[in-house]
Formats: sequence, structure tokens, C-alpha cells
Amino acid sequence: MRSLLTPLIALLLTSPALAEQDFLQSTVVEAFVEMRTAPGRGYPVFYVAERGELITLLKRKTDWIKLRNYRGVEGWAHVDDIGRTVDAAGDPLAFKAADLDSFYNRRWEVGLMAGDFEDTDAVTVYGGWHFTRNLSIEAHYTENFGDFSDGRQGTVNLVHQMFPQWRYSPFITIGGGVRETSPRSTLVQTSDRTDNVASVGAGLRVYLTRRMMLRFQYKNTVVMTDRDDDEEINEWQLGISAFY
Amino acid sequence: MATWHQRVLLAAALAGSSLASFAEDTDPVILPEVERRDITPAAIDSEDFEVGAFAGILSIEDFSSEWVYGVRGAWHVTEDFFFEASYATSEGDLTSYEKLSGGAPLFDDADRDYTYYNLVVGWNIMPGEIFLWDDVALKSDLYLIGGAGSTDFLGDNWFTATVGIGYRVLLNDSFAWRLDVRDHIYDRDAFGTDETVNNIEWSTGLTFFF
Repeated sequence: MRSLLTPLIALLLTSPALAEQDFLQSTVVEAFVEMRTAPGRGYPVFYVAERGELITLLKRKTDWIKLRNYRGVEGWAHVDDIGRTVDAAGDPLAFKAADLDSFYNRRWEVGLMAGDFEDTDAVTVYGGWHFTRNLSIEAHYTENFGDFSDGRQGTVNLVHQMFPQWRYSPFITIGGGVRETSPRSTLVQTSDRTDNVASVGAGLRVYLTRRMMLRFQYKNTVVMTDRDDDEEINEWQLGISAFY
Repeated sequence: MATWHQRVLLAAALAGSSLASFAEDTDPVILPEVERRDITPAAIDSEDFEVGAFAGILSIEDFSSEWVYGVRGAWHVTEDFFFEASYATSEGDLTSYEKLSGGAPLFDDADRDYTYYNLVVGWNIMPGEIFLWDDVALKSDLYLIGGAGSTDFLGDNWFTATVGIGYRVLLNDSFAWRLDVRDHIYDRDAFGTDETVNNIEWSTGLTFFF
């Protein structure tokens, strides 16, 4: 069994040979750079690249970079350590783990939220792009599940955060979109209907750690139905988001 | 009028002379021979996304245990946390009552199709390594997941909470083998009264990092 597995594992473990010049190279200028066996803070340091050593940066996984030294030894180093190595011109490499500063200057965010949608359960996935530090545009998709009907809703929203430099950053939002409502099968069959929706809301983003943040929001949505009265929906959601 | 002409000419002459003298003053003492620096972009291949397929057994409450097949994709935000979306299908068989009573089936065949999706956050709570033999160590993670989604079963969509535990072994930097146990919990009124159902799923799959 082992004789069969060994070549298979060896095949899997061998990365395709690529020329050194295809990769970014840098030089260690601090006393040393620790190399670990795997990308994670708990993995053992099995080698140190010394000052003056030329290292080749192979790939990145989350906050860890796989590197190879001139002897061909491969291991994983933290991005902050690689950020203190220099390129051929002597400039430090632009590598840094995400922190509160990255939160203030984020460009993209995606997240999941769940909560209450006018006394029904709802789940939301969204993505947003910050085109200034204060303003962002977001696309939301919400699905809610009630006793009498299900709904699917897609909206585009403009979001304004008043204090982009705050760790607890409040925001206000307006948006619009479409909503499809399907009555449940246990009720007398009525057909699905599609309506336009408009909403206003407010909420709070809270930076957690690295690339993660918490998001809490309230939205008041008006569903413009064909009936005499428009329908009003109060929506409370809590979620977790990642930014880039 | 004359004074206006004089003023313009004087101004022009002054400007011309001061420009000429400025040009003389800036005779290069030191030539700025700073080379253009090519700023190294952080161009490096990131492998934070994981996609894959899985197959397993789904125990559908009040129905039977059936094969389930699905796909999932994850974004590893940090070494500790990842976001993951899954989509899978299965099919419920007859309920115990339908089998024993021998009467007319309670649901259409089309309503027995079981499909679900969910969005979860995963936490690599116990990262580790597996030592196969002397010179082979594979990275592994034991993780917890929790999230929400939708289950389409018995003709309706049900808001579903999903919790579970999983194990990931990285065969190399790009491929991983996974084992997952998840419970899909939702409130169902398909039998006339509201009830909370637990649908336990065992699955295994292969994923690819890119």
C-alpha cells in the first residue's frame, strides 16, 4: 500500500517547475525571517532565512507567503515579515496584514446577514464597492420565509458613512429594486407577484479583526403593490462581512 | 495712453530679462541623476479561494436517508475564518406512514426533490498536521461552521439554519480532502402543524484552492 501511495503523494506534493524569474524576489534585511512548515501561526519554525539572503516568493495563502531560498528550502513566512524585506532597488515590499487602517481604506466588502423581515426569517447576501471614503454602492439579495408567503428581493443601495475613520462606523442608506412574492403551497393557490421596492435605512459597521467586520442594520422598505395600499416592511439584520 | 504703453513695454522687458537671468542661475551644479524606480507591485499568486464538490448521505426527517450531491465554494478571509456557500440536491423517499399504510402517497414526486443552499461562516478552531510517515506531513484543519440558507422541499422554501463540524486535509497546496457533518434545522408545517426538523448530513469531497 505504502509503495503505491508514495509516488502518488510525491506527485501531488511536487509543484510544476517554474523558472525563478517568474516569481517576485526579495532580500532579507532584518536579522532573519522565520520559515514555518505550513501557513499558520502555530506551525513549527524549521528554518530561518538570514540577513542578505535572496528569497523567492512563490504564493500567498491568507496572511502567509510561501518562499524558497537559494538552497531550495521552501517554507511559509508571515506577510508582515516579508513586508520588511527589500526588492532589488532597496525598497521594502508592499506587503502588510490587514488592520484597522485597511478597514478605514477598504474598497470592497461582501457579507452575509440574517434577521427579522416583518416577523419572518430572512437571509441576505450582499457586496459593496466604496467609490469614495464616505460613499459606497451595494447590491443586496434577500430571501425571506413567512407563514403565508416567501419572498426574494434584489436591491441596489447607496450607502453613506459619516465617519469613515471610526472603528464603530454608522451609516445611512437608500435603495430600490424588485421583489417577488410567492404564496405558500398550503394556501389557496394565488400566483406569484413581482413589485418594485424602495427603502431607507441606517446601521452600524464594527471592525472586528483582520479583514472582518460586524454589520447591523435597520431598513424600512415600501413594496409598491398593485393593490390599494402599499406594503411596508421593517427589516432588522445582523451579519458578518469581509472587506478588501 | 503713453504711460499705458510704457507700462506694458516695461513689464515685458522686465519679464524677459528676469527669465533670462533665471535660466542662467539654474546652471546645473548637480545633475539629478535619480533613476526611475520601478515600484514592485505586490504581484503574487494568492490562493484564498476553495471550490469543490461533495457527496454524502442526508437523513431527511420523517422520510429516509438518501444520497446528497453538491458543490461548494469558500473564501478564506484569514487563516482562522472563511465564508462558504453550498448548494446540494437530494430526493426524499416515502414517509414511514406511506410505506406502512399502503395508501395514496401524501406528496407528489416533484415535491420530494430536496434542494438547499446555505451561506456559512467557518472557524478553523483546531489547525494541525497529519504525519503520514517520516517525511510527509499534511496540513489539516478541524473547523466549526454556522450559517443560514434555504431548503426547497415538499413544495415550499424553508428558512434553514445550518451548523456543523468539518475536517480538511491539504494533500498539497492546491487540493484538499474534506469530511463534513452538518445539521440542517428548519420549522416545517407540511404535515399540518409547525414542527422543527433536524436533517443530518454526512459528506465527503475534494476541493481545489486557487
